[in-house]
Amino acid sequence: MNTDELEQLLAQQPVALLHRLARGRVHRHFRAGKRRLIELLLQHSIHNRAGLESDLQTLIGERHSRSEAGSSPVHRSPTIAHKKASPRGADPDSTETAVSLSAWLEGLGVPSPQPFVPDPWQSEALSALNETDVVISVPTGSGKTYVAVEAAHRAMEDNRSVIYTSPLKALSNTKYTEFCRIFGPEKVGILTGDRQENGQAPLLIMTTEILRNLLYDAASGEIDIRLDTLGLVILDESQYLADPERGVVWEETIIFCPSQARLLLLSASIGNPQDIADWLTSIRSTACRLVRHSKRTVPLRAGYLHPNGKLTPLFRTLGIPYGHPNQLHPEAKRLFLEYEEETLPAGRPRR
Amino acid sequence: MPPSIHPVDLVTALRHKHLTPAIVFLTSRRACDEAMETFDHADLVLPPARQEAIAVALERITVQHPSIAEHPLIPIVKRIGVAAHHAGHLPSWKIAIEELMRQGHLDAVFATTTLAAGVDFPARTVVITQSSIRKSRDFTDLTIGEIQQIAGRAGRRGKDHVGFAIVTPSPYIDLTVLTKGLTGQPEGIDSQFTISYPMVLNLLKAHPHEQIQGILAKSFAQFQLNQRAELLEQKLDALHVQMEPFGPRVCTDWITQWHTFDHARRHRHTRHHTHRSESPEIVARLPFLTPGRVVGLSRGHGIVLRQYRSKGQKNSMLTVLRPDNAVTECPVTSVKEVYDRTYDCAETSTYPWCSTEAFDRLSHQLEDLPPRLPVLPILVSPGTESLPDAIVQSLGDFPCPTCPSRPACQKDFITASRLRQEQQRHTKSIQALRTSLWHRFQERVDVLQKFGYLTTATQLTADGEWARLIRIDHSLLITELIRAEAFAGADPSLLAGILASLAHDDDRPGAFPRISPGLSSLLGQVRKLAESLSPYEDPPLLRADVAALVERWIADPSLTWIGLCRLTTMAEGDIYRLLARTLEFLSQVQALKSTHPGLAESASQAITLIRRGVLEELP
Ligand SMILES: Nc1ncnc2c1ncn2[C@@H]1O[C@H](COP(=O)(O)OP(=O)(O)OP(=O)(O)O)[C@@H](O)[C@H]1O
Ligand SMILES: [Mg+2]
Repeated sequence: MNTDELEQLLAQQPVALLHRLARGRVHRHFRAGKRRLIELLLQHSIHNRAGLESDLQTLIGERHSRSEAGSSPVHRSPTIAHKKASPRGADPDSTETAVSLSAWLEGLGVPSPQPFVPDPWQSEALSALNETDVVISVPTGSGKTYVAVEAAHRAMEDNRSVIYTSPLKALSNTKYTEFCRIFGPEKVGILTGDRQENGQAPLLIMTTEILRNLLYDAASGEIDIRLDTLGLVILDESQYLADPERGVVWEETIIFCPSQARLLLLSASIGNPQDIADWLTSIRSTACRLVRHSKRTVPLRAGYLHPNGKLTPLFRTLGIPYGHPNQLHPEAKRLFLEYEEETLPAGRPRR
Repeated sequence: MPPSIHPVDLVTALRHKHLTPAIVFLTSRRACDEAMETFDHADLVLPPARQEAIAVALERITVQHPSIAEHPLIPIVKRIGVAAHHAGHLPSWKIAIEELMRQGHLDAVFATTTLAAGVDFPARTVVITQSSIRKSRDFTDLTIGEIQQIAGRAGRRGKDHVGFAIVTPSPYIDLTVLTKGLTGQPEGIDSQFTISYPMVLNLLKAHPHEQIQGILAKSFAQFQLNQRAELLEQKLDALHVQMEPFGPRVCTDWITQWHTFDHARRHRHTRHHTHRSESPEIVARLPFLTPGRVVGLSRGHGIVLRQYRSKGQKNSMLTVLRPDNAVTECPVTSVKEVYDRTYDCAETSTYPWCSTEAFDRLSHQLEDLPPRLPVLPILVSPGTESLPDAIVQSLGDFPCPTCPSRPACQKDFITASRLRQEQQRHTKSIQALRTSLWHRFQERVDVLQKFGYLTTATQLTADGEWARLIRIDHSLLITELIRAEAFAGADPSLLAGILASLAHDDDRPGAFPRISPGLSSLLGQVRKLAESLSPYEDPPLLRADVAALVERWIADPSLTWIGLCRLTTMAEGDIYRLLARTLEFLSQVQALKSTHPGLAESASQAITLIRRGVLEELP
């Protein structure tokens, strides 16, 4: 391929593909428009042309296999786009019809007030906590706080103190306000890198780093906070274990957590919660119980909004087709391809 | 402006379909601010009753957080019910917006993805405009976990039957990343365990050195390393079974023997020819002198535990197990005979170079050896320049040509040697997996000993005793500065200025023209020291502008928050974070009361001086 051919080939690609190609090659490539991006890619490739060409071919290949994997014929020209895609018998997906926009928007609204009944997983976690450490891994917004509050409540009734940690100062502050409201301000204290209030309270909120430091001080015998009555340690947002810079602090905290205190790890959905539970089992005195589920309490639907204001479901199904990323809604797919075509810098008027 | 939906159109569309309140995630703070500007003249105004409700709610929040009173976005928030929320804002502003959102007053909040984690901030709808985020100066694709955290903000329990995650394209989007993220399994957690200097000091303060390996073994890092090691061990077991047909034949180690013979036969040179300083006789022996090999030394037998090269030595060295459990080091030249006998023995990376069980077994086996053993015939390959004739001739000395087992060896060699290589590779990897944490710990110990924080017996020195209280980034630099008395006599503003430049790890531009000569020369000194420590610790950015900014805030108590903000192009939120991080660093220095009273006093004065205005108002 000579430079002109390469340039042409690049120009034929959607801009998203060029951005993927530019990743790791062009600094701040997201700032560049298509033409500039092509220029930068060509400049960069002076030193490694073969690498660029082969990556480009791979991306093009992937793109083709992706559009073949999809179900409906791809309309390249916006002028014929309004024609309905005719289902092809060979394709298993196309026999199902895709959800309509009105069906997709149906049922939205505010539920009537319900009396509070704990979810089964919440009760399960609380009763397991009587015996053992517990790891909870459930989707965002499921109600982990309820378990934390209830568990703290029980520990405090038992005259044991509780430490609640979160990774972010902002979140610690929010929880401080929330817990003061629930338990009364005299029962709650907060310790962060730059704030210390009511440090002798039975329920202490802190950042995980502060707890780690406390545990180090306790190990070397100098400490101003009593850990011998500690009954429960709650680590919120435990998926921070995977944070490149701060993850180590969660590990240190868990390793040095006093054995008489129960550990309660609250985490968003993660891929290997069983490993975390097995790890705790291997280093703590009791076997750790894992409470997990991946079903969202409030179901989620995904949509696609075109820059011209047109809204369509993103997937053919009403809910999110877990495990089937290719089940795109034909309309969303058509619009997105159109979008990619239109963002070509070739001077086509934008609508 | 990239072709993406206009913010006004977006809000209109969301309202029209009853998809509000919504959180709109944008790539950058700038994009959020620009989106706000587009509402300046928009006619999307809320009905008067809702405008009134927002005004009342805002007023109530302002009582607690006066710093939001003058916020430039307030008119838009009141009129249209949209707001921006990102790290460039003061925490008080973010709290206010979160509160308005919780009370249901807002229709849309334009935010960066920093909001995705942890903050309790749900909505009916989440709008996603990007598939990658800026992480340490580069854009990386969002992970499945991150996409689900973002999308998961949609759909409030008790307030919504359904939540909506809406993708709208921009040039920052790769649709496949998002569809995979929405439909996929979140990634597993991989341990990010690292061993820092303060960790080493604190561990050694509380536990004797010999217990540390056991403590490190409790980490999730080791748990995951063990998982990998166990997988390899299973493979190793399978390899063991596959190796069964290739056990000892006429000579016990026929694989190595055949290997050497075959090479010679093909006129190739074994890789050991690179050791030019060694004679061909020695070179030919090297491949046989592997762990488990029985050798004859000037007095009695020994079993090789490992072979290694040592800097001062011309020849390869051996560690040999001698009778009475003696472990000795000797050059390969002192080996008189190489016997045709080997025992199972996997090399380990620490003394005594094999597992304790293997060590015990080998010492028994050594004791039980008969006095006479068959000598291994070893072909000495000629030097590089030798003629093929010489090789062919010497092949005659080799046992293989006349050996009854030759056809079998020839046939099996390729398979057997591949299997054995795999075995060796796996054994090495398993070793590394089991011991890598401990090695990393030892590396840190070496550095701390070199700098005098630990004694050779790994006890904390007087300096180690206080240095362990500094548990923040760049701890080595900070403790070295303190030992060099860099802060002696420095007033609180200088101390805070330097700590600010150590604490601030953001490379977003700021600008501040004047820096005091005292701070400037001190910063120069810090830079020099940081440079010299760079082999042991990554140097901090040490930005002069942030140092000067913090110095000014402390040195001039009459400076107002607005005045401070005018001195730099940094966003309010960044200045706030800079000061908050500086407070954290100062409070660690303040903890050195008993050993460095002057310094601790200076730190505590700085803390008092920093806490004023906005910093006092906030939690
Ligand atoms: N059993 C329940 N029945 C009804 N509503 C509940 C129940 N449990 C919790 N909730 C409500 O669900 C909402 C979300 O709860 P919460 O903030 O604890 O979620 P979370 O799991 O901590 O989410 P995140 O991952 O965002 O931290 C809250 O408003 C809470 O009152
Ligand atoms: Mg939560």
